[in-house]
Amino acid sequence: MNRSAPRPYSLLAEVTHRCPLHCPYCSNPTELISRRNELGTEEWKRVLIEAAEMGVLHVGFSGGEPLQRTDLEELVAAARTAGLYTNLITSSLGLSKSRAEALKKAGLDSVQISFQSDQEAVGDVIAGVSAHGRKLEAARIVRETGLPLTMNVVLHRENIERLEQLILLAQELGAERLELANTQYYGWAFRNRAALLPSREQVESATKIASAARKNLFGKLEILFVIPDYYSDRPKPCMHGWGNRHLTVNPSGDVLPCPTAGEIKGLRFENVRRQPLAWIWAESDAFNRFRGTEWMPDPCRSCEFREVDFGGCRCQAALLTGDASVTDPACSLSPYREKLAAFIESIEQRREGSSVLEEVSTTLLYRQNPAK
Amino acid sequence: MVTEPIAPDACPKISARARVQTDKVTGKPVLLYPEGVLVLNPTGHAIVSLCTGESTLAEIVRKLGERYKTSEQTILPEVTEYLNRLRARNLLEVSARIESKP
Repeated sequence: MNRSAPRPYSLLAEVTHRCPLHCPYCSNPTELISRRNELGTEEWKRVLIEAAEMGVLHVGFSGGEPLQRTDLEELVAAARTAGLYTNLITSSLGLSKSRAEALKKAGLDSVQISFQSDQEAVGDVIAGVSAHGRKLEAARIVRETGLPLTMNVVLHRENIERLEQLILLAQELGAERLELANTQYYGWAFRNRAALLPSREQVESATKIASAARKNLFGKLEILFVIPDYYSDRPKPCMHGWGNRHLTVNPSGDVLPCPTAGEIKGLRFENVRRQPLAWIWAESDAFNRFRGTEWMPDPCRSCEFREVDFGGCRCQAALLTGDASVTDPACSLSPYREKLAAFIESIEQRREGSSVLEEVSTTLLYRQNPAK
Repeated sequence: MVTEPIAPDACPKISARARVQTDKVTGKPVLLYPEGVLVLNPTGHAIVSLCTGESTLAEIVRKLGERYKTSEQTILPEVTEYLNRLRARNLLEVSARIESKP
């Protein structure tokens, strides 16, 4: 094993790209993997065991919708036996009482359900399908089964002003953790960013509400507020560094440093069907390309924050500048910062009183499903 | 960090969504919870092991005092600080003692 490769801590297992929802900010790539190319049960089990042997402690079963896999219980059991903390990241559609009980029996540690809104009508428009009512029911089932619940909401211009109501909903559902995650603009969300991006005022107000709620609900509800980096002066420490703590395995077995790394042209991802996971992590070109600080150009190379934010996000650099190896334009020191500022200004001018819901019929692009 | 006092007769209990396990790589105990891990030093491990919901804070402090041969006055602030770190992540339930228990 490459001596300079750090120990990985978490694995995102994207077991399928199939999903009953069509959220326009989906974190899946715009080119989806079809069912016939998905890894099989035994292949996934091997991935989970290899990950645990490498030191990984957490596995998030994600997708698409992981409940679409009928072997999910078997995969959870394999992960748990290997010593992994197992988290189900789900829309919750398909989570019946019997399925929840089977997953708990398999050793599932925690469930994270996404909500699109606190309001049924808005939630269903964003999801592109009638889902909100079923989510409320599934959340109730999760708590009844005795599984810990995290509620996750992706924030954007249409729901960010409902933060107080969303926090109340989390309490009503008996969630122990609430993730308020501002949309990260990759893949589908990048295509829809002009419609989704909140205003600076909306973000500032939401930040205050989240911060106050965190104090008020101390010891009762853990609140995580993921900042929108388009309005930040410093880039986010994306994945705590490329190839530093995290790996993603996509439905067909490609191993990626992050779920959206496929955005970067010219990176070749190795596959668990052909190589051991440990080799891919330690030796493959994709994982070593932006590992550590050696690859950094200025202003990162000489920056005192280079080991704090790791130069920000490689995918965002690629998306906004065409070059994955430059400083993330979310950093105020980036030579491309102006480009991001100009984009924000242009959409602020273009919008005068229209809403995401109005834009649905005209500009908003719904996530599609993979071919069979 | 926000801190709040924990009543001496309250019974702290580690949340069901967290669990302790031995780390394969280091051999050390770790507390795992959604998207996080806390490496437990011997004192932390001792504290977490006593947070079963069956002992009061006062009893936990007394047991730790006996184990480490230190006064309870010295231990109490350390334990409270540690428990508040867990509470900040909502990993600790602090409920009143259940009287019907022996």
